[in-house]
Amino acid sequence: MSVADLVKPSVLEPTDEQAVAALFQDGSLDGLPFVIRGGATRPIGKPVKQPHHVLSTAKLSGIVDYEPAEMVMIAKAGTPMAEIEAALAKGRQRMIFEPMDYRPLLGTKGAPTIGGVIASNASGPRRIVTGAARDSLLGVRFVNGTGDIVKTGGRVMKNVTGLDLVKLLCGSWGTLGVMSEVTFKVVPEVETEQTLVLHGLTAGDAATAMAAAMATPCEVNGAAHLPAKAAAKIGAFDGHSVTLLRIEGFENSVKIRVGKLMDILRSHGEMTVQEGSASRQIWRDIRDVEPFDDGTMKPVWRVSVAPMAGHQLVAALGIDDAFYDWQGGLVWLRMDGDPEAQKVRNAVAQVGAGHATLVRASVEERAKTPVFHPQDAAVTKLSEAIRLRFDPANRLNPGWMG
Amino acid sequence: MQTNFSIAQLADPATAEAESILRKCVHCGFCTATCPTYVTLGNELDSPRGRIYLIKDMLENGRDADTQIVTHIDRCLSCLACMTTCPSGVDYMHLVDHARVHIEKTYKRPLINRLTRNMLAMVLPYPGRFRAAVTLSKFGKPFAGLFDSVSALKPMAAMLRLAPGSVDGKNTYTLPGSFAPEGTSEKAGRVALLTGCAQPVLDADINRTTIQLLNRLNVEVVLPQGEACCGSLVHHMGREHQAHDAARRMVDVWTREIENGGLDAIVITTSGCGTTIKDYGHMLQRDPDYAEKAARVSALAKDISEYLTTLEMPAPAIQPEMTVAYHSACSLQHGQKVKTAPKDLLKAAGFTVKDPPEGHLCCGSAGTYNIMQPEIAAKLKARKVANIERTQPDVIAAGNIGCLTQIGSGTSIPILHTVKLLNWAYGGRRPAELDAFVPTAVNHDKPVLEAAE
Amino acid sequence: MTGIAMPRPDAAVLSRRDEHISHLKTLLGPDGVVSDVNELRAFETDGFTAYRFVPMAVVLPQTTQEVSNVLRYLAEQKVPVVPRGAGTSLSGGAIPQEDAVIIGLSRMAQIMDINYQNRTLNVQAGATNLSISEAVSGEGFFYAPDPSSQLACSIGGNIAMNSGGAHCLKYGVTTNNLLGVTLVLIDGTVVELGGEALDSAGYDLLGIICGSEGQLGIMTEAVVRLVAKPEGARPVLFGFDTSEAAGACVAEIIGTGIVPVAIEFMDKPAIDICEAFAQAGYPMDVDALLIVEVEGSDAEMDDMLARIVEIANRHDVKVVKESQSATEAALIWKGRKSAFGATGRIADYICMDGTVPLGKLPYVLKETARIVNEYGLRVANVFHAGDGNMHPLILYDVNDPVEAEKAEACGMDLLKLCVDAGGCLTGEHGVGIEKRDLMLYQYSQTDLDQQMAVRDAFDPDWVMNPAKVFPYEARGNRQGASQPVDQAA
Repeated sequence: MSVADLVKPSVLEPTDEQAVAALFQDGSLDGLPFVIRGGATRPIGKPVKQPHHVLSTAKLSGIVDYEPAEMVMIAKAGTPMAEIEAALAKGRQRMIFEPMDYRPLLGTKGAPTIGGVIASNASGPRRIVTGAARDSLLGVRFVNGTGDIVKTGGRVMKNVTGLDLVKLLCGSWGTLGVMSEVTFKVVPEVETEQTLVLHGLTAGDAATAMAAAMATPCEVNGAAHLPAKAAAKIGAFDGHSVTLLRIEGFENSVKIRVGKLMDILRSHGEMTVQEGSASRQIWRDIRDVEPFDDGTMKPVWRVSVAPMAGHQLVAALGIDDAFYDWQGGLVWLRMDGDPEAQKVRNAVAQVGAGHATLVRASVEERAKTPVFHPQDAAVTKLSEAIRLRFDPANRLNPGWMG
Repeated sequence: MQTNFSIAQLADPATAEAESILRKCVHCGFCTATCPTYVTLGNELDSPRGRIYLIKDMLENGRDADTQIVTHIDRCLSCLACMTTCPSGVDYMHLVDHARVHIEKTYKRPLINRLTRNMLAMVLPYPGRFRAAVTLSKFGKPFAGLFDSVSALKPMAAMLRLAPGSVDGKNTYTLPGSFAPEGTSEKAGRVALLTGCAQPVLDADINRTTIQLLNRLNVEVVLPQGEACCGSLVHHMGREHQAHDAARRMVDVWTREIENGGLDAIVITTSGCGTTIKDYGHMLQRDPDYAEKAARVSALAKDISEYLTTLEMPAPAIQPEMTVAYHSACSLQHGQKVKTAPKDLLKAAGFTVKDPPEGHLCCGSAGTYNIMQPEIAAKLKARKVANIERTQPDVIAAGNIGCLTQIGSGTSIPILHTVKLLNWAYGGRRPAELDAFVPTAVNHDKPVLEAAE
Repeated sequence: MTGIAMPRPDAAVLSRRDEHISHLKTLLGPDGVVSDVNELRAFETDGFTAYRFVPMAVVLPQTTQEVSNVLRYLAEQKVPVVPRGAGTSLSGGAIPQEDAVIIGLSRMAQIMDINYQNRTLNVQAGATNLSISEAVSGEGFFYAPDPSSQLACSIGGNIAMNSGGAHCLKYGVTTNNLLGVTLVLIDGTVVELGGEALDSAGYDLLGIICGSEGQLGIMTEAVVRLVAKPEGARPVLFGFDTSEAAGACVAEIIGTGIVPVAIEFMDKPAIDICEAFAQAGYPMDVDALLIVEVEGSDAEMDDMLARIVEIANRHDVKVVKESQSATEAALIWKGRKSAFGATGRIADYICMDGTVPLGKLPYVLKETARIVNEYGLRVANVFHAGDGNMHPLILYDVNDPVEAEKAEACGMDLLKLCVDAGGCLTGEHGVGIEKRDLMLYQYSQTDLDQQMAVRDAFDPDWVMNPAKVFPYEARGNRQGASQPVDQAA
């Protein structure tokens, strides 16, 4: 359920960038705020107060340019991810940051869009090596809160021409501008992949094993740990914890590297290997938080800390409903009833720097609990000053990020 | 880099040369990274690029040197690490030489500074005076702390601390003469060995073992009549006339030998001197009577390690089982670009050779630098010793007496001239420095930094 | 050269010079302030020597607290501040103005902390890029971005310019390898952005700091990501008869789905220059050279190379030469990384940094030759072909004012060529003053307004490095952005 569905605000569906810009000058809209909507699959943030309009990017859709040889795609913000993935598959390419699909976790229905992926900086397991959405994003066209059409970045990999507003826009949840078009890097699809599975490790031992794996030249690009309870929710496993290490590339190379990795990790106990589609499914499930795909609205936290701090955080909280991606640095936590925000955030502070986002919670909960991790006063002040430089009249998802 | 000299200024050949050096600099800043004073002091003015800029500005404007520029030029060790680093081929050595001459001509140093410099120039290059001074310094050592408390007198304290406990007296290996090869077959070569001035006082064994080794390798060694200081010390003080007089005198000495018996090389065991002797050709290029002779002398000048690599070496006489940290003296690696010869020789002789980290950085000795700039020199020494000790060597080898004294004063690991190890390996006696060495079990835990090619 | 205007020094600031210097000395001690006019001259420029302005003073703080104290004072007094790392900028990023105080980070060059399990390293901003890799090399790690000046350039400068390097084809540029910074804001407040976690809460302020060219605050420390060293790496030389053939080969390698670690391009003049310095064994009888580096185990490298050689053969490669030892590999890279400096042996140069889409490489190379030829100048091309980042070096004689003017105009034309081809003005050197006045060629006024608005949020009075990045004609009536006047360089 998306915020905008609660009441019946008008849904505006501009068909091009100019039309988006015109909305900000349109007196008939009473200067009301806009809730920016892509596929409405990721209602994560503080609900925007009534009254407001919904500004949908549904009609800003389509791939503008895609040349596999240049490893770049340009697409309008409302383009469904399915369309983009199909085009990339044809070009034997992919997005290297593995954007997650929030629908299983949040029980949402729509079709996720590239704009939504960028606005939420959605990034999957490979983020640990090859970066987040923000690292693949090369350029953005957007309309700011005063109706200016702004272009930032470009279409080339290396670009330090002026301030990098691309990074600001990415992960700004529609609070800085309505993105109309995005340009991002794509990479060749790999020949194959394998996942090395270590069985029965504690979270602490798993952290050590994952750190050891990442320190090898084997180019591990996925490192996750599922305690028994979470592992049971993933098809391939049951009964005990699994620690997962993914290696991708040309077939021979993958074989060689998995072999090497097994040698190096020999002291960590029993090991098995998952190949091809089975391996792909495991990482898709981790990416989409399948262990917590339970049809409930039990609060789920997404916590980002230093890799070695992840298991310490979970131990400090005394929660067993947790699993780890990003070598232990991305912790997914499921709470029983109350999100216990203060407790979670105190624990983050206790294990060092990081932040916790309340990814799944009821609308009521999101209205009263800060969804995004509160920052220190100076950073908050600076962030607010920046936001006002994009949206002085508070018309873009006001309050969404707290 | 853009320069701004008038036609009249460029009429002076020395200025014209400085200008052509400056024109090559592109101000990329690479040199700052490997400059010992920049990494120690963190001020661009104490880096090659900063000094080049200061010199350029002074010369372009025809200004006399002032306290500031003298401070920064004096802090330069002349280690020439910058020249190894510089991709543009900027001849910093001759630029800073030129600046030092300019300073000497246009700047009046404070009294104590002048006295110290004069004393060093009057004592160090003369073995008799130096020997006497070192003997006397024993009585001064207790006062080193006292001198430290007065900034201008710190060089005195440094000098007293550096003075060795004992001196080597005169012996046959420091007096003119000829040493015949041991072999019965035709000799492998005839070389002149630089006797040196300070080195034989501090460690006469270096040349003794050199002569023994060369003789054993069937090389005749002569110590020519009439030798004196090579002029390196005054050269680095910017005392152009004194330096050139010294150079001419030495050119005469060696020319006599070249014309009277012939020389395959002029062998030098103190690389600081070697760098200057190899530069005689440049120093005297505008002296019509000497230019040609000086160039010939420079071409013949060889570090002992360089010369040894031209000889056919026999199989080593011993299996030393010893790990040597090789300290590359700046004058060798940067000044003369002799980088691998000493290590190759040590390896061929059976030693395990380690390259200490930051091998490009100076140990702080740099001629009289550790006396004139004791604070910076002490920091560099500590850094150097720590880097060397990280390689866990049994012994440290180097090819320059200044480095041996400087590093030796900061570590308990035995340190000695490369040639002594080589002499031992090829049938000479075991160096006395190794008496303190007790072989220990080899430590295999620590990653070993093998010497680079 | 006089094409780029610099602001008229603020007489009010200059009239209080002695007062400012004496206050700075109370904050840092006399050794922390350079104020002698002859000494200051050494700070008048960086790696972009065509423009030079002697600053009012240089300060060399040793702690974040000292930076904070100094910055707060200078901002209160509305004295322009120019941060300086190692002063290796090729776009004039560290060039001061006459009423400015340079804050130099050269005394903050320590590595503070290394965590191999988290693969993070905490370093002060003045430390050199290479010192990071050297510190962790023994444990099998490195820091990936490797600008050619990595021996000397500071990590703070790298962040300010979002530096790249030869290996970013695989490992990304600075922004992709940066986890956190300690930033001193204009009012002296010290904030930590990011840290050891992979991403941070709220807006991506770290992302905006990276590449901000010293205009948003002063970085004093950074947390960077360490990468495990590959098992092996092998640079291979591919020689071609024409630049076009080499360019087409690059496009096909990438297009086929093979992404090597690095693909570097050199044309004949560049080969000559680099070989003379490094004696790396580059082939001398070809007109264009690619250095392609592959990584991994021997078997992996052999496999990858076979695929690349096959493609190169289709483009009539004349020479394929593998490095036979670590020493040889090091020499190949030494030659490439010294290209700019080594050019100084034969001529003065300006180094361009435009980036173009890969498919446009052959066209842009041809046009570059044509444009340079029209100006009657010479060019050496040495650049990161794998990501289209061009570095034409325009060769000229800086002591010849007519030729200097021509070189500057030629450079501007080459940058416009890159923008016209769908690329950008600068891939990794930054805008600085060099490309400032071309910003409106790539961006609209509205685009720049949004960027300047963000800048305003950090530095409302435009105290930080104010003469850079944004063209004066686009600034409107912002405070601190005073009217520029031409200065004799």
